[in-house]
Amino acid sequence: MTLVLDILTTAAILYGVSAGLLIVFGVMKIINFAHGAFLTVGGYAALLVTNLGWNPWWSLPVAFAIGGFLGALVERLVMKPLYQRPLDAILATWGLAIVMGQCITLVFDRGVQFVQSPLSGAFDFAGASYSSYRLLMIPLSLAVVGVLGWMMNGSRLGLVTRAVIMNEDLARGLGINTSLVRLATFSLGAGLAGLAGSLITPLSSVDPNMGVPWLVNAFMIVMVSGVSLVSLGIACLVLGGAQVLVSTWANPILGGLTIVVLAALILRVRPEGFARG
Amino acid sequence: MRQDEGFFVFDFQISIVSPMRKSTQLFTATSILAAFTFASVSLLASPIAAAQQMPPVVIGTAVGLSGANSVVAPSVVQATQLAIDEINAAGGILGRKVVLEVADDGSGAAGAQKAYDSLLFQKKVDAVISMETSAARNAALPIVTRAKKPFIYTSFYEGRSCNKHLFINAWVPEQQVASVVDYFSTKLNTKSYFLIGSDYAFGRGMLEFTRKYIASKGHKVVGEEYLPIDGSDWTAIISKLKASGADALISSTSGGAPNVTLTKQLRAAGVSLPFGNLAVDEGTAKSMGSDAKGVYTAGSYYTSIGTPRNKKFLSAMSKRFGPDMKTPNDLSTPQYEAVWAYKLAVEKAGTLETDKVLKALGEVSVNGPRGEIKMDQQHHAALTMYIGQVQADGSVKILETFQNVAPGAQCPQLK
Amino acid sequence: MNISTQPVVANPAVTRRRLALPVGLAAAGIVLLFIAPDVLPTYLVNTLIRAFLYAAVAITVDILWGYTGILTFGQSAFFGFGAYAAALTFTHVGFGPGTALMAFGIAIAGAMLVALVVGWFAFHPGASALYGSVITLVLPIVVSQLLYSGGSFTGSSSGLAGFESFDLSLEAWFRITAGFLLVITAGAWVFVRSDAGRILEAIRDNEQRCAYLGINVSRVKILLMVACGAVASCAGFLFACVQMVVAPEYAGFAFGTELLMWVALGGRGTLLGPVIGTVLLDSSTSYLSGSLPFLWKLLSGVAFVIVIVAMPQGLLPALLNAVRRWCRLGTRGSASRAKEVALRVAEPRPLAGLASVGRFALSVEDVHKRFGSLQVLRGIDFKVRPNELLSLIGPNGAGKTTLMKCIADGAERTSGTIRLNDHDILRSPPATCVALGAGRKFQNANVFESLTVAQAMRVSRTRLEPPSLLRRASVLALPDAALEVLRATGLERQLDVASRDLSHGMKQALELAMVLALEPNVLLLDEPTAGLTKAERTQIGAILLDLTRNYALCVLLVEHDLDFVHEISSRIIVLHQGQIVLDGSVEEVVNSELVREVYAGAGAPGEHA
Repeated sequence: MTLVLDILTTAAILYGVSAGLLIVFGVMKIINFAHGAFLTVGGYAALLVTNLGWNPWWSLPVAFAIGGFLGALVERLVMKPLYQRPLDAILATWGLAIVMGQCITLVFDRGVQFVQSPLSGAFDFAGASYSSYRLLMIPLSLAVVGVLGWMMNGSRLGLVTRAVIMNEDLARGLGINTSLVRLATFSLGAGLAGLAGSLITPLSSVDPNMGVPWLVNAFMIVMVSGVSLVSLGIACLVLGGAQVLVSTWANPILGGLTIVVLAALILRVRPEGFARG
Repeated sequence: MRQDEGFFVFDFQISIVSPMRKSTQLFTATSILAAFTFASVSLLASPIAAAQQMPPVVIGTAVGLSGANSVVAPSVVQATQLAIDEINAAGGILGRKVVLEVADDGSGAAGAQKAYDSLLFQKKVDAVISMETSAARNAALPIVTRAKKPFIYTSFYEGRSCNKHLFINAWVPEQQVASVVDYFSTKLNTKSYFLIGSDYAFGRGMLEFTRKYIASKGHKVVGEEYLPIDGSDWTAIISKLKASGADALISSTSGGAPNVTLTKQLRAAGVSLPFGNLAVDEGTAKSMGSDAKGVYTAGSYYTSIGTPRNKKFLSAMSKRFGPDMKTPNDLSTPQYEAVWAYKLAVEKAGTLETDKVLKALGEVSVNGPRGEIKMDQQHHAALTMYIGQVQADGSVKILETFQNVAPGAQCPQLK
Repeated sequence: MNISTQPVVANPAVTRRRLALPVGLAAAGIVLLFIAPDVLPTYLVNTLIRAFLYAAVAITVDILWGYTGILTFGQSAFFGFGAYAAALTFTHVGFGPGTALMAFGIAIAGAMLVALVVGWFAFHPGASALYGSVITLVLPIVVSQLLYSGGSFTGSSSGLAGFESFDLSLEAWFRITAGFLLVITAGAWVFVRSDAGRILEAIRDNEQRCAYLGINVSRVKILLMVACGAVASCAGFLFACVQMVVAPEYAGFAFGTELLMWVALGGRGTLLGPVIGTVLLDSSTSYLSGSLPFLWKLLSGVAFVIVIVAMPQGLLPALLNAVRRWCRLGTRGSASRAKEVALRVAEPRPLAGLASVGRFALSVEDVHKRFGSLQVLRGIDFKVRPNELLSLIGPNGAGKTTLMKCIADGAERTSGTIRLNDHDILRSPPATCVALGAGRKFQNANVFESLTVAQAMRVSRTRLEPPSLLRRASVLALPDAALEVLRATGLERQLDVASRDLSHGMKQALELAMVLALEPNVLLLDEPTAGLTKAERTQIGAILLDLTRNYALCVLLVEHDLDFVHEISSRIIVLHQGQIVLDGSVEEVVNSELVREVYAGAGAPGEHA
């Protein structure tokens, strides 16, 4: 049972971390390597909330807001010239991640710090006691899926975004303000990353480089998922599950490799990954 | 993905029409290079110490300002600073002022290389006194050997690190592990143990010793798991712990961050077994809040040691650092004593010459917060050890005291 | 056909002057490097030793990324591999001349093996550039994580330290690593300036065109990766011997991206830029990271972002250009890099072993092509003899270009058989179809933007005449047909002009010449007159006629200009909605009612548009 819960919670956490990256990739066709840095920003937002003495639940909206705001700033200042150059976008956003990391270090110092968890203790679930906070990740991720899904399919912005995903030139020709769509998308992606960052820190710690391992895993999962939120969920379950299984039966370090290696193999065999068609 | 399909068409042209005009490009390039140059020049132009009557004695300290050890690093730097201030107030070493150079070793081997290169060859320190991970220490030793300077290592570690230039005033497993395992088996009746560690020399060395000791007492080890020093996701390991049915948990992670993440996640998962943490110091325990309550720990220093010398030390720390004082602990106090040991050794030798100082280091005795300490047992020291339990407020209540525990034969070839 | 091209021989005096500066600089550099360690402070010597080794790895990154366009994060993995090969051997086996040699062998051979596997994964035919980069990103992560999981064997987080190594002084190591860097730089320099080096740039500019020139792009990339992996591993080996400490970080992702940063800042694709950039930046970091740790890294990050976004050529080249302009040395564009090249006639190479006379040059049998549920080609069936000029006409969307694709690339069609010179192309990739005799010219002028005309022609000859890895030939042998095109269009007077600076018509002509250099005997031309003036059109038409009559070429032509088609074809096939509706002589087709219907309103043959 613990194993099943481990798999579900790991998949949920991976989903939360990767959703923002997927959205940016799907709409703008570029890979945002600063995603890990936005994650870190979210973690430090949670630290800020702890230091200010507020209720830890505040770290979620604060992290989302700060992430979104920074995302908007980055999009306006840096991203424009990169839209036609996907490989260069990877490098430029990585450089941006370094810059953001250094700024964080200048403000918060480089040491490892810790954040208060909003929810502590264990929850008895089907005979096993399991970390309540980890269990919380599942409904939270489902909520994120739900909200994003509703936005994509039920709102005007979502409709417009889907148009841009399918054919940007045509969308622009029809009068859709693609520039605004990009801004909104990037901010949303960064905000989600910040939110995810604040969610993962209570379980571990914050330090200026915490985003990097998550970035790589999220990136590989997004590569395998194509553009659909549903296939992202499937990818998280499959790859996250594989990671947990390898960590449990072999060795946690090899477990850390599983996602990356499996994704590379899947893409070799089936370049579209889990996406349909 | 075929070359000409969809959005995976990459028309890589190095001759991308740059968004910037040539003049702007030139301006930007020049300003960036100017910034680099300015930074470089500002370093070189930093005031070179005016030639005094005598140059100061420079003590170098490499510590993990970033990475796993960063949780305890501030306390280490403070303890070192206090010792140096006291020595300077008392006239310095051989009449010369003492200056501190701190370098960040990143809590690891790669960082330590850079830090030690910088300390020994750029800043040209006279001695290195460091609290750092075993990974950092192992990387530092070849450099220290090449530079031929004294190196006092002040962190508890897995033992058997032997080098002519290296002295250690902190404990080794022979002095610590037995007390914890004995306490568990006699007072808490535990028979099976699960071991968790950080995957490097310290973690592996400590747990190997622990495993052998447990076996020698006729008990069982039902699991042994490791994560890299910077790993923070203990989920799989905690699940294995729960499945193993062990009576007790013993951990030996790197000092600092891994202790916190492990304890947090253990408590979140509802684990309440007797938990002996071989590598947690009081400062880190305090920062863990209520999660650390009930953890058993053993070491050579706790703030609750009742000796007058310790009380004097604590009040000096509090006076010097005020509200910024970090809890003195088993990783920072030996640093304080080591600086004093160096002063005494230099003055006994009458010179800064390495070989003479090294000889004196094995002979001088420092009366510090941990008592009288002499590094005369094959470059290691006999220590008074304590076993304690972390209380709700983060302080450690001492349960048992062991006087004058010998380190055993650590470096037989080093008399 | 008489070609009288005056060979233009390089002026020896000019060559000597041009070489004087770099050779002089190099000599001065070598002398400086050999006296330096005795003069410089120890810390700087130590720092430079490391920087030299990193610079050698940066060269490999520049060759892969700057010159060939492969964005690689993975060279650090090879560096770490070499370092750990040394460390593991010396720690677990011991140190001695025999073990040192063994360790070196493992380092180089092992790295080459790993590079082979990685290359096979990353550059398999059909892999996108993004996938290749993804694999190079996965590599250092896998290597460093494997090192972390190695327990006490690899030292895990501690790494390995204190193993015995060569007992050499710091000064000796300085000279060794400096020498190593010089050798690698010199070798790389010779290679990228050679004719073979042009292939790298060709791949970077237009991989598709390379494939259709018969160059096995995957193989080139894999070979490059193997060579660069070996060099990086060697640097790592030396690193371990000097430092006597290795840690998993040296094989990791962060170091891999740092290398990219140094190359980008120093100037990608310039070779010397990354070397200087790496040495300067790494040394500065060693000095400044103690005093201004955050500010320094912040500056580097900002500079990196600016360079990638707005100054892709890098910091150093931008400054050098400015300096040059101020010193009025004159702008030296890519044209000056090209030596004067003489053209001469090449010996014809009949397609060995392939029947090319009497039987069919091209045979298309029941070919179908489906995109999902959309049927684009249905039951296409025709045979072409050598010497025929066959035009393929039909309204847009009829499937003409698709048919071309299927003939030139065996993987394109859904079903059916295609034979080139009586050889079944099966599912062969474009490069193999070129070997079977196909030469495809694309609809839009598909050339190599940054190569000069001469260089582009040199690259086109690669399949038949492998270029030198060391030298730049001063004479280029081309087949008559290609020379004819160059002469007739005036390109032979523009041999030193970069392709991007040519007019559209000239680009079309260049591409035609490049394809002819392949000595194909089935020439597939997709709208060769698109965008050409009337005069240019006439010229091309004459050339094509000439080709069929005098060179026994089978030409398959897709065209919309029906006048043009009428003038030059011997046979016309009309395609409509993926099927052949008519296949006959020019007269039959021109007078056909069906064709008029199919082209309703588009201008029947004989009328001016």
